[in-house]
Amino acid sequence: MTVRTIGILFAAAALSVLVHAQTQLDPSLLGKPPVDAWPTYHGDYSGRHYSTLNQINQSNVKHLTLSWLYRANTNTQGAIGGGAVPEAVAFRLGPGALAGGLLKATPLAANGVLYMSAPDHAWAIDAYSGREIWHFFWRTKGGDHIGNRGVGMYGNWLYFETPDGYVVSLDAGTGKERWHKQIVDVRSEYFTTVAPVIIKNHVILGMGGDALDVPGWLESRDPDTGEIQWKWFTTPRPGERGADTWPDAYAMEHGGGMPWTPVTYDPDLNLIYVPTGNPNPVYRGDARKGSNLYTASIVALNADTGKMAWYFQSSPHDTHDWDATQVPILFDATFNGQRRKLLAQASRNGIFFLLDRTTGQNLLSVPYIESANWFKGFDDHGQPVPNPDKEASQGGALVSPNNGGGQNWTPPTYDPDTGLIYMNAAQGYEIHYKWDVDGPTFGSAGHAARAVGGLDTSLRAFDPLTGKAKWIHKYQGTEWNPPRPELLGGLLSTAGRLVFAGAPGNFVVAYDPATGRQLWHAGLTAPMSNTPITYMLNGRQQLVVAAGDTLYNFTLE
Amino acid sequence: MSTSIRLTLALAVLGLVAAGGASTAQQQERPNTVPSRADTETIDRGRDMFRANCGFCHGIDARGAQGPDLARSLAVLNDDQGKELGSFLKSGVPERGMPAFPMLTPENARDISAFLHTVVDAARRQRPMDPNGIVVGDPKAGEAYFNGAGRCNTCHSPTGDFKGIGAKYDPATLQDRMVNPRGRGAKTPPPPIMVKVTLPNGRTSSGRLVAITDFYVTLTDQTGVRQTFPRDNEVPKVDINDPLQAHLDMLLKYTDADMHNLTAYLVGLK
Repeated sequence: MTVRTIGILFAAAALSVLVHAQTQLDPSLLGKPPVDAWPTYHGDYSGRHYSTLNQINQSNVKHLTLSWLYRANTNTQGAIGGGAVPEAVAFRLGPGALAGGLLKATPLAANGVLYMSAPDHAWAIDAYSGREIWHFFWRTKGGDHIGNRGVGMYGNWLYFETPDGYVVSLDAGTGKERWHKQIVDVRSEYFTTVAPVIIKNHVILGMGGDALDVPGWLESRDPDTGEIQWKWFTTPRPGERGADTWPDAYAMEHGGGMPWTPVTYDPDLNLIYVPTGNPNPVYRGDARKGSNLYTASIVALNADTGKMAWYFQSSPHDTHDWDATQVPILFDATFNGQRRKLLAQASRNGIFFLLDRTTGQNLLSVPYIESANWFKGFDDHGQPVPNPDKEASQGGALVSPNNGGGQNWTPPTYDPDTGLIYMNAAQGYEIHYKWDVDGPTFGSAGHAARAVGGLDTSLRAFDPLTGKAKWIHKYQGTEWNPPRPELLGGLLSTAGRLVFAGAPGNFVVAYDPATGRQLWHAGLTAPMSNTPITYMLNGRQQLVVAAGDTLYNFTLE
Repeated sequence: MSTSIRLTLALAVLGLVAAGGASTAQQQERPNTVPSRADTETIDRGRDMFRANCGFCHGIDARGAQGPDLARSLAVLNDDQGKELGSFLKSGVPERGMPAFPMLTPENARDISAFLHTVVDAARRQRPMDPNGIVVGDPKAGEAYFNGAGRCNTCHSPTGDFKGIGAKYDPATLQDRMVNPRGRGAKTPPPPIMVKVTLPNGRTSSGRLVAITDFYVTLTDQTGVRQTFPRDNEVPKVDINDPLQAHLDMLLKYTDADMHNLTAYLVGLK
């Protein structure tokens, strides 16, 4: 062996150590504004989707250009395999078809690598080149392949949920499976899509599935062992607080309330903010008279124990599949002369809520769209009072929003520089019908909602402290068939005085947050299907968005 | 796991595929359950045994009496071939009034499970909506609305374009189309949306709107030529003339009763 080869070997060994070290995500990044990384689904814990970066700004955004694109590789040949069954069971979309061909996940960026996922798939992508580093394929048992919203990262480990109800931990460096744990049983028609959020040494997980009136919960697992640390059920059990909002034990145990979107977190209060899903049976409330806590609610839980601190119900006794699974956005501001820790949600039901996130006290409840017509007013706690005349009926009830909601799961953004929330909001209508079926009310049986157009979809700059729109950019051509909000993707704001949003016609657009003036756009091959991220890579600010089955990376020329 | 069980599981989940394909658009986001996978004899044995031993509490159809509706039971849903259900039944839940059945054989449990899975299937299989069953309004009030507050007679006439409309569409489609005449199911194409583009130099182009986004507008002019104009922050000026605008304006005004009455009136125009 020559000195030269020894030198090379030594360099290779050093490099491998370096590479290994580079896949580690410093956990302290998770609570800070994202700069060199996008380390968690919302960028940080606040749910603002705001970046302090300003290298890309109003003066140069015109020069934003495509640096690479990555088309999701679903070829299982050559993929690193894992799964609870020896062979993938065929499912209706076909193996590898993603969620109807859509990348919905928010990628994580760390140490020059992007981590992206789709139902049954995860990829590591070289952030400089867009080349695949590894591809992991999960052999599924089935389940609804409606989407996957991203991976969570802790040190050198990744976590993602699968349509057949598992959480899988991968080695971020190699893509090899470390372990998998079952969250829910696919035979009860649960499925899991949530991007795990890592909070201290907790991996926070949720689930979806409302076909069979099954119970929902949020759970925390140990990032190393995968063992359960706590579970919080979204409906009470007899004797517990809130049990009086259900007719009986049976109704609450089958009451649904799936927490199917990622949580936000306040490290100072050590509270997790959980948005919960719709109650079951979904549309027919006769078997669950009462407000049905804690479904369609925002709930604050202690991060270490899962114990509830407070709740606010966005849709008491929901009979329209409203959910409340929109992002609980956290920011601090002066409201009525008092500095407060706030929580804002533009809920699927068309109503905006502002809460004190320490106590849950409601400060403001106001419709953020003009068409919402299903409620009569607000109760003493600022919770909407549903109008029973707008429940499904034999002749049909004309209801707005439609099932897509005013907002849906894709995140809006809060820009601390303007103090405004930006969102793509839809004003759709739907006729809700019901008819008699045999046996007790069940699932979604005996109900149909027929979408019948609407007013429009628009980008709105909304003042969370006054409940008024600062400006509204209406998308012309959306009058008869307003796109569901989630079909335009999520939003991102930056200190470059920019808001990035998807627009109808397969565009990603940069706006002036103060005026709504359009400063830059790019045409994609499909509607933007995830939420844009931005971070610094080797001194250059990146913008990454997904549309259809493709990830696009933009940088300045 | 034996090959045969694996095959059964695979087939069961494949059955999910077939059922999913047949579901309505509204249901497509909801997958279908694992359908019952047993033969008729097994199911019949299970039904008999269930009715004799369990029907008193759970109802002979298993949809609940004093005891709960078993179509929702996790012990049933998460069961394969009676294995999990068998151990559940052997011990029962005495504190909740569910007795134990210590004599139950694995075959009994399998049969009962097979029957209960047919109950789950039946409960979740929706009888579809009858589009003719939605007429609840008052046709007289509908006629008054047609000629009065609704101002429908500004554009439509029961002896003109609406002659026989009640025979052309089923009531639910008629009601849908009243609210959204550009929606699905049109038997005659809706009138086109017209557009005029005024360029900064004052030149104009008019025609049928083909598509409009924030960054381009496309029209077909009188000579059939397709023209696309780039748009930048509302420049050039675009004026849209939609002959069906009144239907959009009505969305914020209709009451459900108006809608039901109008439907009842139009359904009668056979």
